[in-house]
Amino acid sequence: MLDRPYRAKVLTAADASLRVAVANGVPVLRMPDDGDELRFCSTCAFGSVCMPQGVDKAALGELHCLVEHVGPYRAGERIFHAGDRFGAIYAVRGGTVKTSTTDDEGREQVLGFHLPGEMIGLNAIHPAKYPCDAIALDTAYVCRFSFPALATLAMRFPGVQQQLFRLLSADIGKAALLAGDHSADERLAAFLIGLADRYASRGFSRTALRLSMARADIANYLRLAAETVSRVLRRFQDQGLIAVDGRDVTLTDATALRHLARNIVHG
Amino acid sequence: MLGAMSSHPAPVFDPELVARYDVNGPRYTSYPTAPEFDARFGEAEYRAAARASNEDPIPRRLSIYVHVPFCFSPCFYCGCARIITRDRGKAEGYLARLHREIELTAPLFDRDRQVVQLHFGGGTPNFLDWRQMAELVESMSRQFTFASDDEREFGIELDPREADANYVAMLARHGFNRLSVGVQDFDPEVQVAVNRVQSVAQTRAVIDAAREHGFRSTSIDLIYGLPRQTPSRFAKTLEEVIAIRPDRIATYGYAHLPERFKAQRQIDAAELPNAAERLALLGLTIRTLTDAGYRYIGMDHFALPSDELARAQEHGTLQRNFQGYSTHGACDMIGLGMTSIGRIGDAYVQNAKDLVGYYAALDAGRLPVARGLVLDTDDRIRGDAIQRIMCDGVIEIGAFEARHQIDFAVYFARELAQLRVLAGDGLIALSPTRIAATARGRLLLRIVAMCFDAYLSRPRELAPGYSKAL
Repeated sequence: MLDRPYRAKVLTAADASLRVAVANGVPVLRMPDDGDELRFCSTCAFGSVCMPQGVDKAALGELHCLVEHVGPYRAGERIFHAGDRFGAIYAVRGGTVKTSTTDDEGREQVLGFHLPGEMIGLNAIHPAKYPCDAIALDTAYVCRFSFPALATLAMRFPGVQQQLFRLLSADIGKAALLAGDHSADERLAAFLIGLADRYASRGFSRTALRLSMARADIANYLRLAAETVSRVLRRFQDQGLIAVDGRDVTLTDATALRHLARNIVHG
Repeated sequence: MLGAMSSHPAPVFDPELVARYDVNGPRYTSYPTAPEFDARFGEAEYRAAARASNEDPIPRRLSIYVHVPFCFSPCFYCGCARIITRDRGKAEGYLARLHREIELTAPLFDRDRQVVQLHFGGGTPNFLDWRQMAELVESMSRQFTFASDDEREFGIELDPREADANYVAMLARHGFNRLSVGVQDFDPEVQVAVNRVQSVAQTRAVIDAAREHGFRSTSIDLIYGLPRQTPSRFAKTLEEVIAIRPDRIATYGYAHLPERFKAQRQIDAAELPNAAERLALLGLTIRTLTDAGYRYIGMDHFALPSDELARAQEHGTLQRNFQGYSTHGACDMIGLGMTSIGRIGDAYVQNAKDLVGYYAALDAGRLPVARGLVLDTDDRIRGDAIQRIMCDGVIEIGAFEARHQIDFAVYFARELAQLRVLAGDGLIALSPTRIAATARGRLLLRIVAMCFDAYLSRPRELAPGYSKAL
């Protein structure tokens, strides 16, 4: 079984030896499969529309017609800008996307990190403008769902509508995550456990994470100083809770982390 | 761990084998080696690498190398980048640029990244007088965050002919705790032939001062293969060095390349030991030092079992970098001064190799980056294989495959064919789970490492330029 969530960087098309390694059954790269006319990408947030009993096969077919695969975006490129007219919501297919706003003084505020299978742009439905930037943190691929077409579809197919409501509700819930008065340890534990759970729910490793976001982004998102992020992570490492190697973080004692994060992690 | 423990047998000196593999090859203080660095890598690339290095969840700590290129007089064997002058005033111009370089470099690295290692090399670092040296270190300590006394490893190479106990005391006050002293040979006739006359007493004086002032480690450099050296005379040098009992001893083989290094033209080739005598000198050195309780680390390096290098090797945490062997592998390395090399994350970077280029860049407010290289996936995989061989003498294949997510036998099919030849010659033991240097092979680590070097097969590398493997 593979122990890295997503490592596009490991594989270069020109590297024949690595391709051989894949052919020999050593997994080098994990990308969600592309799906086909009957299935969505394995990680897709809309994938569950056709589950569990396959009631909305017709909806699935029509949904596929309005999905557009976009990308790759390179690290730092924007999928949409704050202020752009709203026309579509997006699902991340591969890579990581950051959403953030910038105030009048140029200070950035990181709103979230979006992993494969997760939606971005849901907060733009009203007032029909994207309220934030969506920026690729590594090589990212997304699916574009035209919103007017999706809304029309949702009126005809209850499964699509339900899924849309579920996604909107989850998106609202996420905003509450950092509102409380929590310590740096709690925030970081919750951040790591949250990422691990989200990866695990898409079929990726539950314990091995690759952090595509800069520590400044993590710090900004958690409302901590960058040096605090590193100091706490180093302490977690000394305590045997995690092992850090560059951007790769292994949760070596997820139970202890989950206990630390118990007042924040929910849902 | 188990593998690393069992993989450091005392080296067995096999003169026939050593002679057969006495070929030119890199010393692998980096992989790819410095000749592969590319002039298209410039200041912008360096800044990008530094920026990215701040973005890890736990950014690596810092190691700084400072090059002082000046020497008072030329040692004829030397192949280093240095400038001969007795005029200490020359240092002022250089120092002004060094201070400028520190001002430009320090802000690139987040302040919570501690400097755990600092090394002054040359040239002759003590060409700088105590006031200049103190100013330099103080300036760095203001602009970087130095680790606490017990966590830092601050070293300096000293020429004992130009340093006294007061100088060493000043170094201790400024946080230095490691001293490296060039000796090469104590024999008076050899010293005259190489233009480096230095008494045992002078050498002892600085080492004693270092110990008195709390330095944690002392090191002596020797060279075998110098003119007029004979085993019986070199035995006496070894005896005198062992009596001083430095924690580390490095014994470099002299490489006579007068067409490349001008100073070496002063050496009379007729006075150099022949191949058989060189081998005898090497055999004598290994036997004498190991009999005296020194442990062979690899390449040219010996250390007492109590020294951190020996302990790091036992624990499998030894690293190889531009300063030879080191216990601080997980650092980003900043090179300051002319010709200095740094490594930031996956990027190697080298400064301008002459004073003109170094001064011009800094006078224009630019970082003096001349060349560099960003590692690709293949470089990282091969670099790891070479590190493991040079430091542990062993590659544990299962762990290696897990680290890089490759199938070793497939990825290194061509290299394994070469390694089988070395196994046939008794340099390594080869099994499906590990590659381990034998006791005889430990003296030929770079021959094993060369099998993994993808750049050696390129035509440019056929040209001479590297020193012999021993």
